[in-house]
Amino acid sequence: MHGLEVEVAGIMLKNPTMLASGIMGLSAASLRRAVRGGAGAVVAKSCSSQPREGNPNPTVIEVPPRGLLNSVGLANPGCRELAEELRKLGGEVPVIASVYGFSPEEYAENAVLMQQAGVDGVELNLSCPNVEGTVFGYREELAQEVVSEVKRRVKLPVFAKLTADAGDVVSVAKACEEAGADGITAINTLRAMSIDLTARQPVLGNRVGGLSGACLKPVALRCVYEIAEEVRIPVIGCGGISTGRDAVEFFLAGARAVQIGTAVLYRGLNVFRKVAQEIAEYLEERGYSSVGDITGMAHR
Amino acid sequence: MHEMQVVEVKRIVKETKRIRTFILDLDVNAIPGQFVMVWLPGVNEKPMSASYTKGDLGITVLRLGDFTRRLFELSEGDLLGIRGPMGRGFKIYGDRLLLVGGGVGVAPLAPLAEEALRDGKEVTAIVGALTASELLFVDRLKRAGARVLISTDDGTAGRKGFTTDVLAELLKEESFDQCFTCGPELMMAKVLDITREHRLPTQASLHRYFKCGIGICGQCVLDGTGLRVCKEGPTFRDKELRKSHEFGRYWRNAAGQKIYFGRR
Ligand SMILES: Cc1cc2nc3c(=O)[nH]c(=O)nc-3n(C[C@H](O)[C@H](O)[C@H](O)COP(=O)(O)OP(=O)(O)OC[C@H]3O[C@@H](n4cnc5c(N)ncnc54)[C@H](O)[C@@H]3O)c2cc1C
Ligand SMILES: Cc1cc2nc3c(=O)[nH]c(=O)nc-3n(C[C@H](O)[C@H](O)[C@H](O)COP(=O)(O)O)c2cc1C
Ligand code: FES
Repeated sequence: MHGLEVEVAGIMLKNPTMLASGIMGLSAASLRRAVRGGAGAVVAKSCSSQPREGNPNPTVIEVPPRGLLNSVGLANPGCRELAEELRKLGGEVPVIASVYGFSPEEYAENAVLMQQAGVDGVELNLSCPNVEGTVFGYREELAQEVVSEVKRRVKLPVFAKLTADAGDVVSVAKACEEAGADGITAINTLRAMSIDLTARQPVLGNRVGGLSGACLKPVALRCVYEIAEEVRIPVIGCGGISTGRDAVEFFLAGARAVQIGTAVLYRGLNVFRKVAQEIAEYLEERGYSSVGDITGMAHR
Repeated sequence: MHEMQVVEVKRIVKETKRIRTFILDLDVNAIPGQFVMVWLPGVNEKPMSASYTKGDLGITVLRLGDFTRRLFELSEGDLLGIRGPMGRGFKIYGDRLLLVGGGVGVAPLAPLAEEALRDGKEVTAIVGALTASELLFVDRLKRAGARVLISTDDGTAGRKGFTTDVLAELLKEESFDQCFTCGPELMMAKVLDITREHRLPTQASLHRYFKCGIGICGQCVLDGTGLRVCKEGPTFRDKELRKSHEFGRYWRNAAGQKIYFGRR
């Protein structure tokens, strides 16, 4: 497939589809399945310094149409154990680690561990509360502290993953760029809830969770469009992408690459190959020679 | 799409001191070996094999920790949420079938035996437990027409020892077309070793920590193969399990940390 190669903050992808963090990302064996499914890059599960069990089940439920609500609660085996897993991956496609922490220093320490494990880039999951309970990604100055601290400690490309739950996601993106971020991933899940009519209570064990899938797409697309207007660093689109046409919308809005999560449920682990193929078909039909040709076109 | 369905507990059967069956007001047509996610509102949600697979769904539960203790506090008429049945069930090949179940692992094997016997197959079931009073579904299997061989760790019923002792002796005398096993993982690993010597194809139902149950979160993925126990399993072929250096050695807890079964 021609014209699918893209470059994001110095990382070369054979196609612009990436596995989103938190989907099948806890071990080398599971990340390899996304690689075999055609992903141009994979993002591992977000990890913290210490292992975390996360919230009680139900932690992931289906919500129509084609959506998920999750409250996995940042469960992970800890950065050290996950780093050992990522070390096993053979460099077939770029591997991005996702880290979080309860302080900027913890983010940075985890990013350093991941750099030592040989990953190609680090994504900062800013949807994590700090010690005072404020989510880093909600406020410009908090996001900025995290990005600067991580950039001070690692040489790798650093991506800030933002949430639309922030009052003003565009200002947060700009703050991250100023602090030295090499790219923006937009967006994480949106806070949401589901209530069962018979049990008459929220279904998720944590009551509140994050919404992903088809229903998130228009919000994600708006965020990518607005962020791309304001920053010069590359933007990776994420939220409700399940077909090549969805991905193309994000490219037109200004995304350099896309991440796919929930669609794994509906189209299987080969969703990456399918979406890449569909992007190639769109390019060919319309006479474009590369993804770069259409990136940001909707801004004209 | 597996939406949560909240239904009434129709009937509760005390199988042993520590095992109960919950028959639910939910009409299903499941394949033996498939599982459901069972939600106890306000408490937790865990995977359970379907022990009654046609008509009203049944699950058979061993009391272990907090979740199962709370399940045991339920009365008939109380509510449970169910997602499923899901996952890959057992597949019957051949005419002479051998079942090996340890403890509550007999739960998915009983409906398999019933289905096979209805289809005119011959079924031999090796059922094991710690002690006589904890043996599960022996009468149910006999009623369906299966030959039942018993082992108990303490020798209070049947052969003193393990199901695998009975299995090793039986396979010296008789041959079968397919073996199905469910129980503690170290038992199943031993079963696979024995049936391999006799070239007896074997399917095993695995237990891993489940979160999503739908193949998204990656919690239950087996090292070596990358197979998801909740999606490509929970039943696997012996060939698939031999490719996983994880099987019989370790599993991952709720945080995703490796926990070894015994000595490394
Ligand atoms: C496919 C499948 C089918 C199962 N079928 C049955 C069945 O028919 N009958 C039955 O009694 N049990 C079954 N289980 C096990 C059951 O899901 C629980 O593990 C067990 O009941 C734990 O009880 P607890 O939470 O009360 O105990 P705890 O003390 O909380 O846990 C004890 C152990 O149970 C396991 N466990 C706990 N939570 C989970 C979870 N979310 N997913 C998987 N394992 C967990 C862990 O190994 C843990 O160490 C099945 C598990 C799987 C994966
Ligand atoms: C089960 C589940 C777990 C997730 N875990 C993480 C995580 O650990 N870190 C993170 O940055 N995003 C996490 N996400 C969010 C996704 O990476 C993605 O941003 C979101 O799901 C939107 O994309 P989608 O609609 O393609 O799924 C998770 C999503 C799901 C469904
Ligand atoms: S429990 Fe989530 S992938 Fe199997």
